[in-house]
Amino acid sequence: MSEATHSAQSRKVREGTWREAMLANGSVVSIALFFLVVCIVFSVATNAFLTSPNLLNILRQSAPLLIVAAAMTFVITTGGIDLSVGSVLALVATLSATLLQFGFPWPAVILGMLALGALLGAVQGYFVAYEGIPAFIVTLAGLSVIRGVALLITGGYSIPVDPGSSFTVIGRAWFVGVPVPALIALAILAIAYLAFNETPFGRYVTGIGANAEAVRRAGVNTQLMTLFVYVISATAAALAGIIIAARLGSGSSNAGQGFELEVIAAVVLGGTSLFGGRGTIIGTVLGALTVAVIGNGLILAHLSPFLTPIVTGTIILIAIWLNFRLFRGAVRSR
Amino acid sequence: MSSGETYRVRMSGISKRYNAIQTLDDVSLTLKPGEVLGLVGDNGAGKSTLSKVLSGAVIPDAGTIEIDGMPVTFNSPADSRAARVEMVYQDLSLCDTIDVAGNLFLGREPRRHIAGISFLDKKRMHEQTRQMLDRLGIVIADTRLKVENLSGGQRQSIAIGRAASFEPSVLIMDEPTAALAVAEVEAVLDLIRTVSARGVSVILITHRLQDLFLVCDRIQVMYEGRNVAERLIGETNIEDVVNLIVGRKFNARSAASRYRDGAAT
Repeated sequence: MSEATHSAQSRKVREGTWREAMLANGSVVSIALFFLVVCIVFSVATNAFLTSPNLLNILRQSAPLLIVAAAMTFVITTGGIDLSVGSVLALVATLSATLLQFGFPWPAVILGMLALGALLGAVQGYFVAYEGIPAFIVTLAGLSVIRGVALLITGGYSIPVDPGSSFTVIGRAWFVGVPVPALIALAILAIAYLAFNETPFGRYVTGIGANAEAVRRAGVNTQLMTLFVYVISATAAALAGIIIAARLGSGSSNAGQGFELEVIAAVVLGGTSLFGGRGTIIGTVLGALTVAVIGNGLILAHLSPFLTPIVTGTIILIAIWLNFRLFRGAVRSR
Repeated sequence: MSSGETYRVRMSGISKRYNAIQTLDDVSLTLKPGEVLGLVGDNGAGKSTLSKVLSGAVIPDAGTIEIDGMPVTFNSPADSRAARVEMVYQDLSLCDTIDVAGNLFLGREPRRHIAGISFLDKKRMHEQTRQMLDRLGIVIADTRLKVENLSGGQRQSIAIGRAASFEPSVLIMDEPTAALAVAEVEAVLDLIRTVSARGVSVILITHRLQDLFLVCDRIQVMYEGRNVAERLIGETNIEDVVNLIVGRKFNARSAASRYRDGAAT
């Protein structure tokens, strides 16, 4: 009798472990499959896709997306959202071009812009974490105000960066055969992965998304942690703005229109839950790369680039639908 | 300590009023080291409020609390935790998407420092979790399982195990066996016995009267914000307890006689 009970119990545990492994990696596996399929399709359909200059070009172009999406993964995992990243990117791009024109040294401009990003994030994070205003509303206001400031500064014009300036190195130079923006993105992704999975901070970010009250009762300063994820995302957006201004050689107040949606799409595509508590940096990287590869491949295949949003949107819906069925099934059977 | 009069917890004259409702009216409670006290009463009798007073979540209007003979004032849950009083909340203390070890160590994860940055020491965390679970007799196959994949009883065990791991002297449990399968109730009751055998005083709030007779040493009955009775477990039975809980309102329907009965008991 007790023997039977015990074996039934251990079978239940084995099933749990298996399902656990599938759930933990299911979203990552499904986006990895989508990514592979997209890559294979474009490799077959075009000659230019699977060449190292093109692949490096994809990395160079998607660096801002990868950086901000990694940061956004933290925000969304807490159950929040940051809609202001595109506007922060635009403000930083225009301001850095403006400051360089005034003759400020480029290292000072970079540090100043990163600090500005952190400050903007702290202000928004304060309203979310300490004043309890929904992140959607706070950052929607941020999206509007910050973009408005960028437009006001430039009057709507692009501001050129002197092509001789060392500032452009960040966006245009190559180092050991790899574009510098890609190297920066790689470093940021490595840091984000470690922070998310291996540090107490990453653990609390997940915990806040799952059950903020439990984390608070465990003696963690959840408000400060919540504020901090918005500092991270806005600082990452500032870094992306610097890279874009350096690559394009100009600061435009129209830069990054719709960028926030592209970032959120990449994160959600990767399997991070919009409800919070579940996030994955690997998934986000795959999601961002999938979005980037679709855009690149459609152009190489001589198809209209306007198909990009259609294909991306369709894949988002299908991928999330699959994940949703998977998760729903797991919850029901508990 | 040698004297029988030394209580782990001694609450007296505790009153709390929410607007027009007197939730607690001159309530007292005593608890000896290692004792398991069953706190019962109908909904709204004040058991939860009383336990929240002891866990620092509710500040009483009047009354005194002594822990091990020392008068204390609890203004927040942190105060009561400092006095080694832990409360197991029904489902508020677990993060579903974090694994068993992560939940047990939430907020006090073992860390190792590399280049000045603190990283989670997951290996040590899982080893210590395994030891902790074995010590308390909690059966969980893998400490890497996420809590959302555990059964209700296992979740409750983790919540209790987490509270017990703070080495409390008093552990308050609010309905730990509600909504559990039969076999799981047994496991949780075993866990309560294990914890109290380690010298922890336990206050058990439950509607499952049969559980009281399995683990409690003593039962305290509350009715409309007052203590109405205290019974040693050997000196009472389930019918007696039921009568005390419903306040004999079946004998005397008028409010006046109900109050008289309450005061007389």
